[in-house]
Amino acid sequence: MNDLVVVGEGLTGLFAAWLAAKRGARTTLIAYGRGGLELSSGCLHLASGASPRLGITSSRLPHPYALVGVGTVLRAIQALLDLLEASSLPYSGSLDTNMLLPTAAGETIAAAFAPHSLARSDLAEQGTMTIAALTGFRDFDAALASRRLAVRLERSIATLDLPLPGPAPRRDLYATDLARRFEDPQWREETCRAWKPQLIGVRKLGLPAVLGLRHHARVMQAIEEALELTAFEIPTLPPCVPGLRLETVLREACLAAGVDVLEGAKAVGRVDGRGSSARACGVVAMTAGGPQLYDAGAVLLATGDLLHGGLVAQQNGLIRESVFDLPVVHNPDRATWTSPHAADPQPYASFGVRVDASMHPLDDRGEPLLPNLYAAGGLLAGARRTDEGSRQGVALSTAWRAVEAAIP
Amino acid sequence: MPALSTQLLVIGGGATGLGIAWDACLRGIKVVLVEQSDVGQGTSGRYHGLLHSGGRYVLSDPPSATDCARENEILRRLAPTTIEDTGGLFVAAPADPADFPDRWVAACQQTGVAAEEVNLAAVLQREPLLNPSLARAFQVGDASLDSFDLLHLLCTSIRAQGGQVWLRHKVHRLLMQAGAVVGAEVVNLASGESTHVGAHLVVNAAGPWAKTVAALAGVDLPIALGRGAMVAMASRLVNTVVNRCKPPSDGDILVPVGTVSVLGTTDEHVESPDDLTIAAWEVDLLLAEAEVLVPGIAAHRALRAWSGIRPLYRPAPAAGAETRALPRAHTILDHGVTHGIPGLVSVIGGKLTTFRLMAEQVMQVVTPRLGVAAPCRTADTPLEPTGRPYHRLPHRLGHLEHPHDPPAPQVICECELVTRPDLEAALAAIEAPDLDDLRRDLRLGMGPCQAAFCGYRAAGITLRTLDAPPLDGGLAAFLQERWRGLRPLAWGHTLRQLEFSRRIAAELLGLTDAPEAP
Repeated sequence: MNDLVVVGEGLTGLFAAWLAAKRGARTTLIAYGRGGLELSSGCLHLASGASPRLGITSSRLPHPYALVGVGTVLRAIQALLDLLEASSLPYSGSLDTNMLLPTAAGETIAAAFAPHSLARSDLAEQGTMTIAALTGFRDFDAALASRRLAVRLERSIATLDLPLPGPAPRRDLYATDLARRFEDPQWREETCRAWKPQLIGVRKLGLPAVLGLRHHARVMQAIEEALELTAFEIPTLPPCVPGLRLETVLREACLAAGVDVLEGAKAVGRVDGRGSSARACGVVAMTAGGPQLYDAGAVLLATGDLLHGGLVAQQNGLIRESVFDLPVVHNPDRATWTSPHAADPQPYASFGVRVDASMHPLDDRGEPLLPNLYAAGGLLAGARRTDEGSRQGVALSTAWRAVEAAIP
Repeated sequence: MPALSTQLLVIGGGATGLGIAWDACLRGIKVVLVEQSDVGQGTSGRYHGLLHSGGRYVLSDPPSATDCARENEILRRLAPTTIEDTGGLFVAAPADPADFPDRWVAACQQTGVAAEEVNLAAVLQREPLLNPSLARAFQVGDASLDSFDLLHLLCTSIRAQGGQVWLRHKVHRLLMQAGAVVGAEVVNLASGESTHVGAHLVVNAAGPWAKTVAALAGVDLPIALGRGAMVAMASRLVNTVVNRCKPPSDGDILVPVGTVSVLGTTDEHVESPDDLTIAAWEVDLLLAEAEVLVPGIAAHRALRAWSGIRPLYRPAPAAGAETRALPRAHTILDHGVTHGIPGLVSVIGGKLTTFRLMAEQVMQVVTPRLGVAAPCRTADTPLEPTGRPYHRLPHRLGHLEHPHDPPAPQVICECELVTRPDLEAALAAIEAPDLDDLRRDLRLGMGPCQAAFCGYRAAGITLRTLDAPPLDGGLAAFLQERWRGLRPLAWGHTLRQLEFSRRIAAELLGLTDAPEAP
């Protein structure tokens, strides 16, 4: 018997499972696919605008921030930052000011907290920089990253193409391939030797975010020493390595805390209707070996939004929650779901499950559906996380609040 | 202002205009063709990919059926690299009118459209996803045709014969002299520079924009615009073109084109040639009708929707609002005769399958005016081979797996296997290209991921290759264009794909209009 079953292993699910296990709960994490962290820049986006704190405190219901409050956001972030620090993946930043970080397309993104390697690119800092692409690596282009940025910042940004030593690969390399290569000391040293002559006079060098995965801190330090400069990273097309570093730390923390992780299994909710009030009694996990029952004192849904499968949109205008078939706040007219322009805010982004301040999913009358069922993260209604720049803030704070309520 | 003179000025770079220019070239006529956008940006590039056998028109428009049957054969000889010989089927569903197939077969015989009843068991063996309870099936000579390839072939052939094709040139005004059209002032949309093109005769082949062009000469052309929506399913559900054997209506064809299957079409009256919106009901209707042909089709992934505008000649007084009831056959107007304005000929309507015949008929009007006696040669002059075979993904895969010159080139678009050398060559070949031109040339971004990855990569290459590229290499505009085609299908997997692309663009690349921190 589990105290808690968490469904989903994105940022929300991993963080919640780790928190619950740390609180002493017997916790099982069940995931069908890999969460969304390979689509993540690795930064903790809380709210865009100059001050993340202001963005959070000015949120109104039904936004999840208005349910949890800024104090919960702060506690959740601090818990994660402490874990990251202890796991050699230190972050910097603050709740009061957003950093402005350059992207691979020469745009900027606001982030409250970022891993050191990204935080160093904060455009609030003056000074010259050089941005380098790696020859043959398709998913980061120095010209695209620098031209628009140079116009915006009104400073010149030099660009370089740096070679990757060794025989030509037999296929095109992804960011994760390169990250693993950089963890090989011999290859890394050879690479730095090959780069050095091209970097004379360069003091601050921007590279695609491929400088190591698990041993990123060591790789970063070795490269800076060998090249005698300050390096920073810019996120690439997915798989995005800084997001995967975050995933690695959380996954390992879960396992170390005793979380039982079951991957590749779809979960179907189970409800016990006997007695006077119905309760969630666990899930059925559809494993390769057939359906398995997982009993639990409480269930936390961290299955994500429409992209990740927590919500499923149908042609007939219905949007369904995929584990317990919970009611989903949405407009049933399919034609209203999207905006004509891709860059505009999208109505579908705020569809989701409505919850109370303890993260209990609510029925149409606003009453908790089941006393021991919780939902957090992308599954929740009311936040437009891409447009608000609130994705990680919503994930972490609602996970924190749900675990607090489920494992008192 | 720079000036030049030519015998014939053709306005419009669709199949009609290019066909006319090609016909003129072969008769030794000096020709300039101007197109306001890129080739295939209008109706010709926004079609379903069906090279008609004629079967669709045997009852509704018998002369068109005969024309289609004849031109179908000719096109297979002239441009074999643009056509995949899928063959076609006309199938009667259980609920379709039972007396229709016999009337249809009789009409096929009368119009010279080859059609043969085939055994249903054999049909189902060949096309196992088709509805097993079909009532009857007939085999016809339909095929699928890549219109982008055909238009590019025409372009290349015209230029090789000394004709000129000016892309991104818009007619600003028609030059008039003593009540006659004697040429046009043409603006280069890239540079803003104008040129006076003097011409003995101007042909208006602007398709849905023909009314606008004619208005420049003070002529009010009665043109009705019918918008048709199409949906591409992400996989090839059939290998044969499938038509419903019933009176033509919405959603009655299924065409395998390359890696996808195209469902077509609807017919909505619209006012503007630029109104390419697609309503939810149109998509629902196309999928519901396709369900009759391929049960369970709605569970397959829909890739993209688009629409094209059919221009149809509708002389007053209007009979009714429904545009499908209007004749599909084309109309040629010599404005010297019809409006007392010599020097201008308009051609309206028609279909891609019969573009060559239309061009020949237009030139029958044009040549006496130019005093040219040379006969038409388009029916027996193959279009210049470009050395590019009919596009098939396995062909590109073969190149990658067994490169002539190892190592294998970088793959920029994984879905359609477009390589860096392909892109660089295309960029060098086109004047003032953007990513959407590369898409039409190479199928860049047309696969399941709809440019989520290759858009960024290709934008970087554009930035490095072109002299004056946009700051973002055209990425934002390209992604917006992809968004437009996914939006009508935004549910299920397609909505996930849409959100996936948006997440990459907004959260990793920062391409968003949301307010940003100071």
